[in-house]
Amino acid sequence: MRSAARVLLSTFLLAVAAAASAADIKLEARLVWGTNDEKGGPNCKPVDADLAAKLHGMFKWKSYFEITNEVASIPLNKTRDLKMSEQCTIRIKNLGGSRVELSCIGEGKPVDQRVVTLTPPKWLVWGGNSKQDTAWFIGLRAKNAKPGDDIKVITKN
Amino acid sequence: MKHELELTVQAWLDGELPDHEARRMGELIAHDSEAAALAAELGCIRQAMFRQEAPVPLAESREFYWSKVQRQIQREATVRAPEGVPWYARLRRYMGPLVGAAALACLLVLAIVRNGSPAFDEISSTSDGMEAVTFHDQSAQMTVVWLQDSSAATDVQPVQKIIPHENESGTVIDLE
Repeated sequence: MRSAARVLLSTFLLAVAAAASAADIKLEARLVWGTNDEKGGPNCKPVDADLAAKLHGMFKWKSYFEITNEVASIPLNKTRDLKMSEQCTIRIKNLGGSRVELSCIGEGKPVDQRVVTLTPPKWLVWGGNSKQDTAWFIGLRAKNAKPGDDIKVITKN
Repeated sequence: MKHELELTVQAWLDGELPDHEARRMGELIAHDSEAAALAAELGCIRQAMFRQEAPVPLAESREFYWSKVQRQIQREATVRAPEGVPWYARLRRYMGPLVGAAALACLLVLAIVRNGSPAFDEISSTSDGMEAVTFHDQSAQMTVVWLQDSSAATDVQPVQKIIPHENESGTVIDLE
């Protein structure tokens, strides 16, 4: 009977831990500037090699500099705003099960909204052209979800 | 001769009858030749058995010998004890771990179901005046949503790779 009680207690603790980890989602958001200049500004640092390789594989710019790096842990059904720059804010709502509702807000106006499933190591990146043949990127990825799932996106206008 | 009478004669010889019955049996044997013959025969057998029964000498004392017998009986009783445990008590021993394992399996299944991608998965909407093109790159494990003004839709594309289709509003392009 003692061993059975031990098994039941372990099961209960496991369930509590699983429920807690399933409820919260930890997200990392980066604002990146793409340019053909070799040197960025004084507050710029090169993007880490992993993300830089992904961006180099898809885009034409020679250099990618990280402007902002924010990490947020969002409880289930809660919303957090991540201010990436003076003009741009990301609003994230944790819908549970690695699903998030994302809003890209530019100069106070929602530019793009979507619901996606974010699981590491996949990235969801917003991007757009900027002045003088440069580009901005906002990369998002989850840091605590189950690996191996794809980011699935269906768009509509 | 009736069997009951034979037993009564045997009891009489062994001195197991009450006094009045012993007296009555004594009279019967004195007057009945068949009963007398049986009593004589049983008496001979009894005497012969007493003479032939050899005494068994013990190496140890009488108390020690019987204590050994007692210990043996107790030992066998202990070994046989589990047979007396009811079936539900034995079942309970295995039910605890089984219930725990079943609960754990249920939790794992629930966790997998909860973390699975929902069928209706993703929706999106882009504001008026903006256009979104979505690129999936499975090898890079990256999805890119490229945003641009609708008026600038014909501007130079930022993507290096060859796009298989001209981008339209809301197009999803898989670069796999």
